[in-house]
Amino acid sequence: MLEALVRDHRVVICVGSGGVGKTTTAAAIALWGAERGRHAVVLTIDPARRLADSLGVGALGDEPRAVDPAVLARHGVVARGTLAAMMLDQKGAWDRLVARHAPSDEVRERILRNRFYLNLSQSFAGSYEYMAIEQLCVLVESGAYDLIVLDTPPTKHALDFFEAPDRIREFLDRRLVRWLVMPYLSRGWVAAKAMNRTAGFLFRKLEEATGIAALAEISDFFSAMSGMFDAFSARTETIHAILRAPSTAFVLVTGPEEQVLTEAEFFSARMHVLRMPLKGVVFNRVHEEFPADPATFAAGTVVHGDEAKVDAALADAGVATPHASWLASNFVDYQLLARGEALRMEQFRRGLPRRTPFVTVPNFDSDLHDVAGLTRMHRFLFGDIAPASPGKVAAASPGHEPTRASTTNQHPPTLRRRAVKGRKSR
Amino acid sequence: MAHDLFERRVLFVVGKGGVGKSTVAALLAVALAERGKRVLLAQMGPGRRLGEVLGVAEATDAPAEVFRGLCFLTIDGESALSEYLGLVLPVKRVQRMVVSSKLYRHFVAAAPGLKELMTVGKIWYEEQLESGRGRKWDAIVVDAPATGHSLQYLRMPAAAHEAFGPGLVRREARKVLDLLEDPARTAVCPVTTAEEMPVNETHEMYAQLCDQLKMPLGVLFVNRVHTAPLAPDDVPTAPAGASSLVVDVLRCGREEAGWAAINAHYLRRLRAAVPMPTVELPFLCCEEFGLPEVRRLLGHAERQLSTLAAERAH
Repeated sequence: MLEALVRDHRVVICVGSGGVGKTTTAAAIALWGAERGRHAVVLTIDPARRLADSLGVGALGDEPRAVDPAVLARHGVVARGTLAAMMLDQKGAWDRLVARHAPSDEVRERILRNRFYLNLSQSFAGSYEYMAIEQLCVLVESGAYDLIVLDTPPTKHALDFFEAPDRIREFLDRRLVRWLVMPYLSRGWVAAKAMNRTAGFLFRKLEEATGIAALAEISDFFSAMSGMFDAFSARTETIHAILRAPSTAFVLVTGPEEQVLTEAEFFSARMHVLRMPLKGVVFNRVHEEFPADPATFAAGTVVHGDEAKVDAALADAGVATPHASWLASNFVDYQLLARGEALRMEQFRRGLPRRTPFVTVPNFDSDLHDVAGLTRMHRFLFGDIAPASPGKVAAASPGHEPTRASTTNQHPPTLRRRAVKGRKSR
Repeated sequence: MAHDLFERRVLFVVGKGGVGKSTVAALLAVALAERGKRVLLAQMGPGRRLGEVLGVAEATDAPAEVFRGLCFLTIDGESALSEYLGLVLPVKRVQRMVVSSKLYRHFVAAAPGLKELMTVGKIWYEEQLESGRGRKWDAIVVDAPATGHSLQYLRMPAAAHEAFGPGLVRREARKVLDLLEDPARTAVCPVTTAEEMPVNETHEMYAQLCDQLKMPLGVLFVNRVHTAPLAPDDVPTAPAGASSLVVDVLRCGREEAGWAAINAHYLRRLRAAVPMPTVELPFLCCEEFGLPEVRRLLGHAERQLSTLAAERAH
């Protein structure tokens, strides 16, 4: 369970690939902290509109907005602390970066009007990822919050997020700018060639390729940007300190599907190398396996062909429905799905550093998009710890308790994929 | 539009992370290969996501054969750039000198959009590649990175064309743009699931594809659609004293009916907001997902594609 994660840390960063429920998990963690007396803020990226609406912060902006305690109370949540939310606007991330770090108004305007910048600022390496971290720094430095939960951009290049500050620093590095631009500006091609043959050669090629006008624009852009370097460089020091502080925790959010898990595996290995170890793993939308009684189900698990037995059990229990056979075959299908997920999660778990906390959140019967939905997650994230307001977790029936950790080892590994992996390793 | 999807030369598969782009890209590639075409399935950017579906290793340097008629390639901007330099700088020694220089590495790491431009450029390059009797590939299916990233990739040729004066870059960008905007050769196939966030994002992406990128559209794929014959509230509650089996059967029924209701709701919204020919792919309950499952989904897709084609013919 993840209670220590929240108790012992000031910054919780949710990482993982897109579409796995990172935003919802981040919001659930912040809400749990607020219930227990923390001053929590969740920094999200493009949240579900219904979630923002449900928190009563429909128009999330650049500044954190407090969630009205009355809104929480309506859902039976009594927060002893406070909850705030803010959204990072993806568009214009670089514009704000330039505005924040430009040494003067004149330089700022020169950069923002540059044709090269106008066309390409959307694709500057890591700008959006950087802005998320930058905003995290602002929140940490403000001192207004003692629990800051960050929902990271859904990047396919998961590590962009951590490498963004360095990449941008490199981009603005004066040495690079000097190499690229200064010879061209001050001394022309002859000097450039004399200084470095490769540089001279590359410039000649660049000139052929682009035409002089474009190169002048680029030169102007780089020389304007170079003034930003000092301010920016100081900033990356702060960022590194925050990301590696003992009070900062990374949580990997994932799902049980193959492709998602493959990315998660890569991610957790890289985090380990970067010495920013994961302090928790959350599996979302997991299908639960029914612990079948071997007396009824000989395989010790429900398999295709067992539909009639399931159908009969429904009839015996007096469940009156015209859809009994659909319910039975759906159940058998779900068991198949659950077994595959259980095997993959177990395999993934074995690859994690020992004692990494690991929780599974079931595939609820709806998408979680409101305060009530977030509290439904709490039980699976944090265990049955007495909440501030008794009774509010009752929405989840006892049948929702994940059972797979105890059942996974009963079945031999039968996945084709395991066979594939075995072949490769030979 | 739907009926000639398999006549196009390049299909770009785009969508939010985690909706199943790789699945749909693999499905389209298998469909084309089954029509006897020589198909290149290209993954933009790093990762093992398509390799995982196909059960093959990453293929970064040269296309690797998955089965007869279908090859797989991972396109990485950096190697595409050095390949490109090999074409414009014919002297190997000079090329090595450039590529191994510190300046070049700095430039490649930092230069905005360069890797994206080179990735799309590589697809153009593969499209016009000749071999023996005509084009090397009959069709190319491109598995793009997550939405924000994929539109950024597709935007690069236009941005480069705009930013650079007359010269090599501009000429090359124009050629790539001509391919991207040509309805006879190209189609974009968005993928989504019928849930809130993916549907919102698909709506925005559709607007951008129409208004800004002006790329020809193909078919919209809605992945992982749950269906149930009854509403979640109509699933009976377990009678008192019912066995854990019965409790669980009913819980699973409610779960499936719940997701079916959510999918139906967002499918209605999607169809209103994104007027494109649409194919729904069912959620498959399977232990693991690989090429056999892709073929199962393809069966569902083929039936709907022929219905769409018949509707159009009328």
